[in-house]
Amino acid sequence: MRRVLDYYHRFLKLTLTIFMILLIVPVSLQIFSSYIGFIPRYIWTEEMARFCFIWIVLIGSIIAVREGTHFTVDLLPPAKTKRWEALRNLFVDFIILLIALVFLFWGHSFVASSLQQRSEMAEMPMVFIYIAWPLAGVSWILFLAENTVENIKLLWSED
Amino acid sequence: MSAWEVAGILFPIFIGLVLLRVPVAFALGIACVPVFILDPKLTPFLLMNEMFKSYNAFVLLAVPFFLLAANIMNHAGITDRLIRLSRALVGHLPGGLGHINVVVSMLFAGISGSSTADAAGIGSLLIPQMKKQGFSTSFTVAITACSSVMGVIIPPSILMVVWGGLMTVSIGGLFLAGVIPGMLIATSLMLAVYVYAKIYHYPIYSRSSAKEAFFAILQAIPPLMTPLIIVGGIVAGFFTPTEASAIAVIYSLILGYVGYRSISGREIPKIFYESARFAAISLFCIGTASAFGWLLAYYKIPLAIVEFLKPFGVGPISTGLIVAGAFLFIGMFIDAIPAIIILGTVLLPLAEFAGLNPIHFAIIGVISLAFGLVTPPYGLCLLIACAIGEIKVIQALKDIAIILFPMLCVLLFVIFFPEVIMWLPRTFMPQFVG
Repeated sequence: MRRVLDYYHRFLKLTLTIFMILLIVPVSLQIFSSYIGFIPRYIWTEEMARFCFIWIVLIGSIIAVREGTHFTVDLLPPAKTKRWEALRNLFVDFIILLIALVFLFWGHSFVASSLQQRSEMAEMPMVFIYIAWPLAGVSWILFLAENTVENIKLLWSED
Repeated sequence: MSAWEVAGILFPIFIGLVLLRVPVAFALGIACVPVFILDPKLTPFLLMNEMFKSYNAFVLLAVPFFLLAANIMNHAGITDRLIRLSRALVGHLPGGLGHINVVVSMLFAGISGSSTADAAGIGSLLIPQMKKQGFSTSFTVAITACSSVMGVIIPPSILMVVWGGLMTVSIGGLFLAGVIPGMLIATSLMLAVYVYAKIYHYPIYSRSSAKEAFFAILQAIPPLMTPLIIVGGIVAGFFTPTEASAIAVIYSLILGYVGYRSISGREIPKIFYESARFAAISLFCIGTASAFGWLLAYYKIPLAIVEFLKPFGVGPISTGLIVAGAFLFIGMFIDAIPAIIILGTVLLPLAEFAGLNPIHFAIIGVISLAFGLVTPPYGLCLLIACAIGEIKVIQALKDIAIILFPMLCVLLFVIFFPEVIMWLPRTFMPQFVG
């Protein structure tokens, strides 16, 4: 299972890099097209940029859940024992799980609302963007499950 | 539900969860959910909808681009060149490397829009050098962290792009208004270095010869063109802030890959990935913070605060002080971008009511939030500088407090004398500035 998640993690990293590179292209085209006559003024460029952008944000949020790099505030004194540490982590993961469940439960109508929509310029089905939310929810749950197994092991282990 | 009831749900849940180390982005999101469920007119569907609407803003694309440009500059060794230039300019002043640290941060701030890239890039080069020359580690870390806050005050600035985009203020105007406060902060920092150097007898460099200085300036000209292109292009109306940020990326790639040949093709995907990952984490926060801010606005909580403060008679200066205090406080705990979304929306009606110019309001907010980058417990630049200097945050706190004091005086100056910071935007962009 861990191997599968590792592969998924690597796949997400690769996708993130590709989307970031793709993000440069439409914006540059837009700049050049407004100054150089023979490049046609592509209007879909802005839509493509926003599409990449939204996916970058949500894929980044998934990667950060696995790596534990979302911004947190460290005001509590450090945990005295490994067990306390594990309990705290379990609580944090539980809250993230709640958001993931919200994304899945209400994400259904969120995605459904987009089924009939197409983007204004490129006529791209909007569902390709909206689906990112439930997908983020599922991916968080996968990585949270992995963390939870680790934390429960720690909780059961002798100090 | 009344404004106060909703505020009574949103803020305690958010603050409680953040204290329990739930990531800020998720704490903001989960705080909204009970309100969405309890009010029969709303549904949690809106959480995702508001996130979507916030990410769908074209101007936010500037955030990853400015980060990317700064990271490319760091990898391309452009920071080295700026250090050489600073050494030729101020290396002979008492506390040589300390002044170099400040000046290079100022120059770097004109190229990048991010303070964290500044702290990481300059810190990794200068902190080891300063330690080797006998500067105390806590002072070294403190001056590196404090000078890096200029990154978001001197244009270009990621925070100003976010602020301008969210509250429809001219981003070009904000950029111009940041120039003078940035210079003042640099001056106050150099003053601090001077005093430290006199007390602790810190070393100096010999004055560079005219020839050395000439070459140092010459080799730094290409990177120093960046602020001219970006700020000049936006102010003159050649391109939008998003386009300017993309130009910064392309220009830095050309400098690093073609010009200096200091970046290899293999490094590029890694730089792209790191920038995207960091940008995504702060941008993800924008989404849930926007839903939170939307709820505050929906229940007219900001207006309730204005009504509450009205009897006390709020003028521009007292409002300026309230704004600065609020942003300084929240900046201690959370990242600047969600702070802008939450507090900015809360304080905007108050600022309008008190007759604060929108640009003045924004600059007070951005400078206060910039200070949040070096104040514990959550000061990203301080954390980065401490990590590079290999000391605990608590060991740097005394020097941070001493160096922050003259910077706070600059903030007060900005609050009391809006004419000074408004002078540049009024001169160059009168059509956008009230």
